[in-house]
Amino acid sequence: MGLCVLGLNAARRKAIFNRRENLMKSPLTTEEITGKILGIIAPGRPLSRRRVLKLCGATIAGMASWNCLGLSHGTGVPLIITENALGLVVADPTRCVGCRRCELACTEYNDGKSSHALSRIKVRRNQNFGPSGLYAGQRLGDMGNGLIVQDFCKQCPHPVPCADACPNGAIELKPPTNARVIDEEKCTGCKVCLKACPWEMISFDPGKDKATKCFLCDGKPKCVEACPAEALLYVPWLDLTGRVPPRVPPVANRSQACVDCHK
Amino acid sequence: MAQYGGWAGKVLRVDLSTGRITTEDTVEKYRDYVGGTGIGYKVLWDEVGPNVKAFDPENKIIFATGPLAGTSAPCNGRTAITTLWPSCWPKHLVASGHMGGHFAAELKYAGFDGVIVEGRADHPVWLAISDGKAEIRDGRHLWGQGIRRTNYEISREMGAEAAVAAIGQAGENMVPLSVISNSGSHTGAGGAVLGSKNLKAIGVRGTGSIRIAGDKGDWEKAVKHHLSILGANNQHVVPNSPQPWAEYYNPGTRWLAARGRVWGASDPPIDTGTGDPHNLNRIAYRTNSAAFFLGPDAWKNTVRGNGCTACPIRCHTRIKVPAVASKYGISEIGQSTCIRLVLGKRFFKKFPDGPLGQTSIEACMLGMHFADDLGIWDNYGQLQRDFHKCHNEGIFKNKVGAKEYQSYSWDKLERGDPAFLFELLPRIANREGELATALGLGTGFMLERWSIPEAEWKKDHQLNYWKHGHPKHHSHEDAGQCGVVINTQYNRDAQCHSHSNFTRNGLPIEVQKKLAVDLWGSEAAIDPLGEFTPMNAHKAKMAKWSLLRKELHDSIALCNWMGPWSASPLKERGYKGDDSLESLLYSLATGDGKSREELDEVAERIFVLHRALTIRGMGTRDMRTQHDTIPDWVFADEKDRAPFTKGTIRMDKTDIGNAMTMFYRELGWDTATGSPTRDTYKRLGLPEVAEELGKAGLTV
Repeated sequence: MGLCVLGLNAARRKAIFNRRENLMKSPLTTEEITGKILGIIAPGRPLSRRRVLKLCGATIAGMASWNCLGLSHGTGVPLIITENALGLVVADPTRCVGCRRCELACTEYNDGKSSHALSRIKVRRNQNFGPSGLYAGQRLGDMGNGLIVQDFCKQCPHPVPCADACPNGAIELKPPTNARVIDEEKCTGCKVCLKACPWEMISFDPGKDKATKCFLCDGKPKCVEACPAEALLYVPWLDLTGRVPPRVPPVANRSQACVDCHK
Repeated sequence: MAQYGGWAGKVLRVDLSTGRITTEDTVEKYRDYVGGTGIGYKVLWDEVGPNVKAFDPENKIIFATGPLAGTSAPCNGRTAITTLWPSCWPKHLVASGHMGGHFAAELKYAGFDGVIVEGRADHPVWLAISDGKAEIRDGRHLWGQGIRRTNYEISREMGAEAAVAAIGQAGENMVPLSVISNSGSHTGAGGAVLGSKNLKAIGVRGTGSIRIAGDKGDWEKAVKHHLSILGANNQHVVPNSPQPWAEYYNPGTRWLAARGRVWGASDPPIDTGTGDPHNLNRIAYRTNSAAFFLGPDAWKNTVRGNGCTACPIRCHTRIKVPAVASKYGISEIGQSTCIRLVLGKRFFKKFPDGPLGQTSIEACMLGMHFADDLGIWDNYGQLQRDFHKCHNEGIFKNKVGAKEYQSYSWDKLERGDPAFLFELLPRIANREGELATALGLGTGFMLERWSIPEAEWKKDHQLNYWKHGHPKHHSHEDAGQCGVVINTQYNRDAQCHSHSNFTRNGLPIEVQKKLAVDLWGSEAAIDPLGEFTPMNAHKAKMAKWSLLRKELHDSIALCNWMGPWSASPLKERGYKGDDSLESLLYSLATGDGKSREELDEVAERIFVLHRALTIRGMGTRDMRTQHDTIPDWVFADEKDRAPFTKGTIRMDKTDIGNAMTMFYRELGWDTATGSPTRDTYKRLGLPEVAEELGKAGLTV
């Protein structure tokens, strides 16, 4: 049974796969499987396909396997749905003047405090020596060739490393921008998401003991508004996940479930 | 503390003699002095006696920011460096240096509003401050290194995000004209005091946050309001060329943006555009200090604007001049602002390709290369003027041995070959030889060393020399009597820009006069430049306001090179700025609600404490004749035009006497001596100051 549910958080996935393990031991009926999965996804809520996808955290791939759940319409083509954010903040390093008003707008106007460490757009870390730091590569930044690279959330459609890694399902797609947003109620401050993001874009608020990430300010990003050099733009979403090199290697073997599609 | 925002909460105290590191509660101990120079003066008053000299271990050097540093309030990247001033002649009196960059914000995020450095280490050390912790580390491997190398080495230990304030060889060698520098080009004088303490650098790394006490929505509105009334550098509110949106233009302003004026060394180039003031997303393109100071050729060299944390103005223009890499073996990148941009070229009388040609730009690059790495201060251009005078009048030849004199390639200097700087600037930093050593002392001590009367210097208008070893800084050429009064008050060149930022803002005099009514009670507060009228009470009010705002800015951490925001580029506001802006930002950030008047009173307390320190340091209450002196050249005119005639900035001696009297009266000071009265000290909450000065016979 090739069940593959991506975009779910680790806990849910674990639960699902535990059930799958159990299936192996004592086969259940299709209705039972459907019921159990949906019970995890949306307890007590009526089912619609659209709703399942949304609640799944919006990335559901390898949907052929859903045939067995009676959810596919039987086209025979693997269905890959990636529910991306509607917009994205993109940055132009040649225009960046290194003032970090973007970082401060992010945290002051959203959180009521000034902090570049908490900011969901990240400039300070690249400001002096560039993304490669002091040790390697061409030296950028104020102490190098002057180019300041702004790091921003790529609003990953699939996989969503931070959301996938969260053991509590706290990173969920939210309207109106469909950005993945950290639910503070659910976040336990374990910092797993910080390690999972290949672009190191998750911030941590030690005051609240919660992680936080770019949520596009509900469609009116404060950072874009604050830039005095037009170096930031809020644009319709485009997939940058394959184009912007990661700062750290993606965490390997994030999930066994990926193997089904990514052989 | 918890009830207040803005402040980080602690002031760090580091005793280098004992290695003891302690902290103090900022609000509890220093709230009445806000921060910056306020904390600096308070520490010096309480803890450093009148007979201490700048290089004694008993001297202290206080790095302090303020409650707005590290927030998004525009123009907040300031750190005040307060200490006994090594180039203040004949006695080291209190003064402060002012450093921008990213040090202030990083220090706040690390949990500190200031650092008090005292004592003297027995070997070279540096101070590592990281998220609430401080540690004195061995600095022997850094001693002898330039500022750039030091920055790099410390960043290796602390991480790439560290802000490092360091001295170069000039500071190590206790050359009085030396700086402390952070973030590449952001310098404040006082390097030699750090050198005397064997403290090479302070590295700071902070990942904490500063709480905004007020409602975040209100704060956002306040900041946007501030942004809306910003001009270009020095708060010039009128563009310097005609623009489609602009009612006025004025070729003298620093608002250079225009279509076709391009950051030519950006890859690809960027047009600075028309600069409509309503577009807050293009503020950073308005200013180009390189093009302003180095001439229009520098547009092609412009990489981008750079500057302090949270400042949209970007007055530290970054330029790229590939030729200097091949010709001189220095970095093709340089950045700075104002006087430090032209530090190198000012040693030369002429260049083969003219005053604004490529050679002059190369001289500027060499100047920045050396001054920002060796850590040399040029005493606001006085170093070069002293150099010219001594060279032209044969003083060098007389005072320096023949062998040493001949070791300089004077022919290079004469023909405008920038390579001459290789011979001069490193020698100043390393105290090599009589000539360079004397120059590095600063004017006062140089003249004393060479037995030249200071009066010689005070006669010469070309020198712009004022007193105490330092030159004028925005005096009557920018604001008539108000400028003169301001230049009498400090123990170094007056670092006040409140007055000149207004008079040079580019608006026509009629508009300025309208604004002056609101600010200082009458149109008569200001004159057209070079068309001065006799002194009046409104000019005294303007002088007081200028000085108090300067101290306020240096304490709450706003830039007095930009503020106060007394005018704006907005026609719909009648070009009015907002004189309550400091109060609005301070109150929201800290939660300590203070009106404009209340905050001005705090500023007055700080300013008067500076005055008390000067009185105590000089051991006389007769400031009027002993301290607040005015050089003769102020009262002269090369064409012998009479004061108050059109075209001259010549001042009238009797009128300036009136000006001083009116100014003292405005501040509640004794008009005969220029000393604050006991009542004034008490009114400002400084009764203990009055008492101590009284015991020494220094009050009236």
